Amino acid sequence: MSNQLQNVIKQQQEQTNGLGNNTDQKDDNIIQLVGFIVGNEEFAVPILSIQEIIKPIEWTKVPFTDDFVLGVFNLRGNVLPLIDLRRKFKASEAEFDDDARFIVIKVGDELAGFVIDRLTEALRIESNSILPPPDTSMERDAVIEGIARKDDRIITILKINSLLKINNG
Amino acid sequence: MDEMQEIMEDFLVEAFEMIEQLDQDLVELESNPDDLELLNKIFRVAHTIKGSGSFLNLDILTRLTHHMEDILNKARKGELKITPDIMDVILESVDMMKALLENIRDNGTDVTDDIDIEPVVVKLDAISQGKELSEAAPSESKEQKEETVEVADEDELTEEDYANMSPDEIEAEIERLIQKRAEEDKARREAKKKQEASSKTNNEKQEEKQESKPVVKKETKPATNTKKAETKNVPAKKVSTVEQTIRVDVNRLDNLMNLIGELVLSKNRLIKIYNDVEERYEGEHFLDELNQVVSSISIVTTDLQIAVMKTRMLQIGKVFNKFPRVIRDLSRDLGKKVNLIIKGEETELDKSIIEEIGDPLMHMIRNSVDHGIEAPEERIEVGKPEVGTVELKAYNEGNQIVIEIADDGKGMDPDVLKSKALEKGIISEKEADMMSDKEAFMLIFKAGFSTAAKVTNVSGRGVGMDVVKTNVEKLNGIIEVDSTPGKGSVFKIKIPLTLAIIQALLVSAQEELFAVPLANVIETVRITIEDISTVEGKSVLKLRDEVLPLVNMSDIFNIEKILGITQYLYVVVLGVGASKVGLIVDGLIGQEEIVIKSLGEYLKGIKGIAGATIRGDGKVTLIVDVAALMQLAKETHSKTIVTANIETKKKKENPEDYVVLVVDDSNTDRKIMKNAIKPLGFTIKEATNGEEALNILKNDSNIDAALVDIEMPKMDGYTLAQEIRKYNRFKNLPLIAVTSRTTKSDRVRGVEVGMNEYITKPYTPDYLANVLKRNLKLS
Repeated sequence: MSNQLQNVIKQQQEQTNGLGNNTDQKDDNIIQLVGFIVGNEEFAVPILSIQEIIKPIEWTKVPFTDDFVLGVFNLRGNVLPLIDLRRKFKASEAEFDDDARFIVIKVGDELAGFVIDRLTEALRIESNSILPPPDTSMERDAVIEGIARKDDRIITILKINSLLKINNG
Repeated sequence: MDEMQEIMEDFLVEAFEMIEQLDQDLVELESNPDDLELLNKIFRVAHTIKGSGSFLNLDILTRLTHHMEDILNKARKGELKITPDIMDVILESVDMMKALLENIRDNGTDVTDDIDIEPVVVKLDAISQGKELSEAAPSESKEQKEETVEVADEDELTEEDYANMSPDEIEAEIERLIQKRAEEDKARREAKKKQEASSKTNNEKQEEKQESKPVVKKETKPATNTKKAETKNVPAKKVSTVEQTIRVDVNRLDNLMNLIGELVLSKNRLIKIYNDVEERYEGEHFLDELNQVVSSISIVTTDLQIAVMKTRMLQIGKVFNKFPRVIRDLSRDLGKKVNLIIKGEETELDKSIIEEIGDPLMHMIRNSVDHGIEAPEERIEVGKPEVGTVELKAYNEGNQIVIEIADDGKGMDPDVLKSKALEKGIISEKEADMMSDKEAFMLIFKAGFSTAAKVTNVSGRGVGMDVVKTNVEKLNGIIEVDSTPGKGSVFKIKIPLTLAIIQALLVSAQEELFAVPLANVIETVRITIEDISTVEGKSVLKLRDEVLPLVNMSDIFNIEKILGITQYLYVVVLGVGASKVGLIVDGLIGQEEIVIKSLGEYLKGIKGIAGATIRGDGKVTLIVDVAALMQLAKETHSKTIVTANIETKKKKENPEDYVVLVVDDSNTDRKIMKNAIKPLGFTIKEATNGEEALNILKNDSNIDAALVDIEMPKMDGYTLAQEIRKYNRFKNLPLIAVTSRTTKSDRVRGVEVGMNEYITKPYTPDYLANVLKRNLKLS
């Protein structure tokens, strides 16, 4: 397991321990997310929607698909689609470096892998501090749940159930 | 209430099973009205359904079956002769029984406004009374009364008294009921025995079963279960052949099949790893042991797979059984005389296929009777027997099941079919001219094609046969047609045994692998570019007496062409039904057993792709949907095959056109090499180690040759050569080792990893230049 992932887990544990004294009431308003970078932006998805995070492995191209669908890969005997979020969000098309990861997310009843540039950290964000997505007509807004601020960072929270909607890339 | 529900479900399952058999038996009875054993069998079914139905308070069903039973009972005793007219009424009441049962299944009751049994009951009564005046109305109502009294008796006991009984009393009550039941059965059986000496053994078997059952029940069942024990007894004693079976939820079997699929994948992987290990540690002692384990696992896995496949197998008789009735009704409707011969009904097929094959078969049988078999007068006129024959046959052929539907009707005339298709604008004149007879027969499966002069309610509505074909192809099956005008037609449906695990041919298109279901592969051939001819701007291949349209797999799937042109091309000849296509691939990898996996919701429905499989090395390989691929092939222009080749061939003639990669960690050595070949005009690229060289090669497809040092950091020359040769596009890239390693084993190793030449330092500049020129085929 990479150092980063360990860091993420460690931080998460610290946070959990630190908050252990707080009342349950407060926990209800807190959403746990995993943050990651795609291109120049930071995104996040709910931690419970993530099945696992793996290092890039080989995948197989599938014909007649959108360009952000890299293909399919084998996750312990299951064939899962692999979607490059960098292409989907029209960000960089850089080669995979050592920080790149596949995040395996459960979308509805289906699992799918998403390529990201690097992980940042596990986040705990109060749900009432999340702002609705900006009112622009960009295509990718369809997959945005909301915008969160943490310190001076702006984090875009993704709408899991829309990630696999066809024709929105 | 749950208890009742459970009993009801058991009853429904049994009732549907029995009724399925009933249809066939009744039709058989019509041709053999005196078959006592058959009559008894049918009577028992009616009786069982009546008995269980009354217990479950299904009054309408009980009333209907009771009247049916009446007639059958009389026929059984020889008091009534079954004529086709009577049979019509009986069949009608069986249909009604089915409808009632379906209603019970869906709504939990047989009370419905949609089904009115009265007319049928009246008819049944009329038959029973009309034939047997002496014991008409009075005796019948008496009989009916008896039955209801008996039932009410039991109901009363079960409903009312149990609540007040002590455990001991309940025990005694159970015993009394069981004994009563046993006595009744015995009496009934004794009576039967006198009548049918032939089925004696059968009855004994039942008796044994009957005797052993109550003992067990009495000991284990608590009072609340009594009802269940009762009903269980009723159907059990009526089943004529006792089979050792248990009912299993299909989901469990599906789950088991999936697990086996995983196991097959792991097995493939194990075999691959063993092969790798074998190469590396040749002659080591542990290899033997490993080999034994690997082979035994692979044998057991295969056996296990077959065993589990068998648990999902059902006899095709389950589907065939309903056809005698279909044929009977059809021939009466159409005024034709048709005899149905069924063979091979014990042939087994996967459950999922059995479920899907019924409708297409039904359609084809109707088609055979309606279009194939002539009217009796017509048949006599041409000197055929008055009664037409439709033969329905199933048998195994290799890994496939063949279902054959043959009729001795008027057959089909290919020329008539062609002109008909022309008329309807389904084919062009040119296509009609080129069409073989077999292809002409396949026209009947085209949408919007119908040869029936007049539209009947049976077939000929213009829909149907094309749906048949689609359904069969969905099961990875193919249809073949053969016909002789005046003699009849034969339809053959070929389907794979199972859908989950198939044999496939692995092929490569550029760097990508695809699995082609072997069932659709007719042959593979190696051709040269000169063998390809062009007809109307499309590439074709003349293979023996046939002209095959050719299409490149990379063109179909829009795969970027990175491979250089080789002298030979591999063609996989694919066949679906009568049409064939030659698929040009870049490599034939081999045959493998693959497990079909779905691509999931998100990627489903991709044209030309049926699914995916995971290979021994853990990589995902896509499975080609051959029928869809052939459709795509028609849309893909394959003209480019030849022209593209010529262009790339022309491009390079002089050393200036070539790019050579020089790989060496020593700056001096690279300079020496450069100095040796630069004067000739080559363009030169440099890399300081194997890893760098590999990256350059991967990103730049223009490199024509490489000079490689062996001793290098990060990745040495041997490994580099090995890695390079893994790519299809570099299969023929000239690799020249330039090294100071001079021993023989070094040279051998060089050849093993795929070096074309081996030059030892020091060398003369001329020598290096010449070797390079020779490998690039420059003079």
